[in-house]
This record gives sequence, structure tokens and C-alpha cells, in this order.
Amino acid sequence: MKISVVTPRGELYNEDIDYVVVSSKMNGEFAMMKDHIPIISSIDIGYVKMVKGEKEIFTVVINGVVEHANNNINVIAQEAHVGLSKESALDHLNTVREERIKENKRRNVDFAMAERELKKSVKDAQAGKG
Amino acid sequence: MASMREIRSRITATKKTSQITKAMHMVSASKLKKAERTIKGFRPLMIRLREMIDNLLENDDISHPMLVEREITKTCYIIVSSDRGLAGPYNSSIFKAFALHINENHQSNDEFVVAAIGHKAMSFAKRNGYNLLIEESINVRDDVQFIDFKKVTESFINSYLIGDIDKIIVFYNHFINTMTQVVEGYQILPITNGNYKKEEVNGIKLIYNYEPSPKIIIDHLLPLYVENTLYGFILDAKASEHAARMTAMKSATDNAEDLIKTLQLHYNRARQAAITIELTDIIGGANAVS
Repeated sequence: MKISVVTPRGELYNEDIDYVVVSSKMNGEFAMMKDHIPIISSIDIGYVKMVKGEKEIFTVVINGVVEHANNNINVIAQEAHVGLSKESALDHLNTVREERIKENKRRNVDFAMAERELKKSVKDAQAGKG
Repeated sequence: MASMREIRSRITATKKTSQITKAMHMVSASKLKKAERTIKGFRPLMIRLREMIDNLLENDDISHPMLVEREITKTCYIIVSSDRGLAGPYNSSIFKAFALHINENHQSNDEFVVAAIGHKAMSFAKRNGYNLLIEESINVRDDVQFIDFKKVTESFINSYLIGDIDKIIVFYNHFINTMTQVVEGYQILPITNGNYKKEEVNGIKLIYNYEPSPKIIIDHLLPLYVENTLYGFILDAKASEHAARMTAMKSATDNAEDLIKTLQLHYNRARQAAITIELTDIIGGANAVS
């Protein structure tokens, strides 16, 4: 069984796995084994547990869709993060989001400074007069 | 004629400006490449999502307010601009097109609301006294992410579902190539088929099971689709912005170099004039002595 996790920023994960467990706050939890019937499910906030042998990997998903057909699983997510446990992945995603919001509040100082300097030297050069 | 010192200071100032514009040109060029890559990476997701929605709508008898056209009493316009200026006609062309559209289609400002993405659009909307959907301005950084404009999507989807607005149109600069970008208005809500072309399905069509129910899936999928469409437009606009800035900075650098050339000529002339004056003084003095 193959799984691919796609976010707007490109493919995050693409591997062979044994089975997956899809868990979502809204819809509850279910597992998908090999040769499952074609299915589409959505995740508001939840995770996809991917199991291969002894290994378990979690992909935390915010706002996504899971689709399964012909032993190919497509996870389309607005935001996703792959981690070894769901707590760590979720924590990581949350901190990234929080930082992003904080950062957005701060202005892009470098650009503003460069722009100001450019304006000043345009004035100094009396551009447009010569 | 200006004094030598004046000309010299102008030459250094112009040189500095041209250095900055040249740097900005190169930065924009590399950012444009990156933006194009992002768009490429994003496209498959969009196609996949659209296929899923089509599948859902075909198989089942579902209707959703987002798919139904209703009588238009209030339109919402989303203007995608940049945060910063110095991008040539990038922002002004979009504002011009938008103002023209408003003049043609609306009698008063009460018939529409504006959601601004980017500082420039925000100040444009405020300057013209348009009604705003959200007061806060939305950043469009170069590495734009969903979370950046989550507030806008949330608020316009909510107001659409409540019935405050009946149509949502996005105005953005569509990227054609580095030299050309055109302003486009695209209706994202209610969802229309627009310029999407359906691909031929080969083989047997799959019949999906929906967990827990098709209704819930479509409720979840459609807002997701709308958000992604908007995101796609923002990416497109971002590429246009970099392209516009790149072209603008290129011509600014060229102009600065021209200016430096003429100034250098003036400077040389002034220097020569000063030397001639000195010489005539010396010769005159010598003649007076002898």
C-alpha cells in the first residue's frame, strides 16, 4: 500500500506502508488495510497513523481529506506535519502556526529599511531632474 | 552649470541607487523562480481536489449553498495586491481595473464590500472609502502560507453562508510571463466551472464510499476548495509581483546608468572649464608680469 501526503507547499511524504489509521476530531477513528474499498473521508483536526512493520509514524493534519483507491492513499492537507508521535507533531505544528502569526505582526524590517534608503537616495540624486 | 561638487555628489547618490535597484532586481528574479516552483507544486493538489468534488457531485444528489447562484444584492471583492511598492505598475493597474469595474457595475459603495490582501490594497480601499469586510490588513509575504489569510477566508465564507454577501470575486494579477501580467477578476463563490477543464477518465470509474456521509464530506470539502482556489490566486499574484518588480528594477537600473553617463559628461565639462579658467588666469598673470 502506498501513501502520499500532499500539502499546498508540495509533497510531504511518499512511502510504502502496511496499513493506516485515520483519526479525526469530527468523524472518529478508523483503520484502512490493504484492499480496502475506495473511500473518501475528511479530517478537520486529526492525524493519520502510518504503520510499516514495527514502525509507526504520525502525520498531524489540519483541514484535510483522505482518499483511498486501488491501494493508493492520498492525503490532501492544508497543513500537515510528520512526526514520530502525534503529540510531538501536533506541538510542532502549533508552534509553527503561532510563530507565524507573531511574525506576521512584525513587519519585514529589512525591506522597509532598504526601501527607505532607496527613497532617500532617489531624493539625493534628484532623479528625474537631469 | 552646477558646481563640480554638486555633480559629484549626484553621481555617487545615483550610483548607490543603481546598486540597490540592481540588488532588488536580482532578489526578485530569484524569488520569481521560487514562486513559479511553488505554483507547480501546488497545481496537482488543486486538480485532485476538484476531481474529488466532481466525483461527489456526480454520484450523489447533493446541493450546497456554495454551488447555488442566488440573486445578487451584495458583492464581495477580494483585491490581491502587494505589501510593498516599487513594483512598477503592479498595484496601480489592479486598482485602476478595479475602480473601472466598480464604476461600471455599481451605483453606490453600499452595494459591495472589499477584502484587502496586502497593505497596498488596504490603503487603496481606505482611501476610496469602500466598505471593508475586515479592518485588519492581511500580509502577503513572499513565502505566503494558509495561516496568513485564514482570517479573510473564514470571514468571507461565513458571511457568504449567512447570506450577507451573495458573490465573491477576486481581483488579482495573472502571471503570463516575466514581461506581461494581466489583471483578472475571477468569481470564487458561488463555485462555477470557470476555466477548469475536465480530463477524460480512462478505465472504470471508481465508486467511493464516504465516511461518515457525503453531506459532511462536501461540507468540509467545498470551503477547503475555495480556500485553495484563493491560495492559488495569491500564488499567481505573487509570481506576477516578483515579475513586475523585476522589470521595474531592471529599467530603474538602466535609467540610473544612463543618468550617470550624462552626469559624468557634465562633470568632465565642468572640470575642463575650471582648468581653462585657471590656465587663462596664470597666462594672464604671467603676461602682466613680463
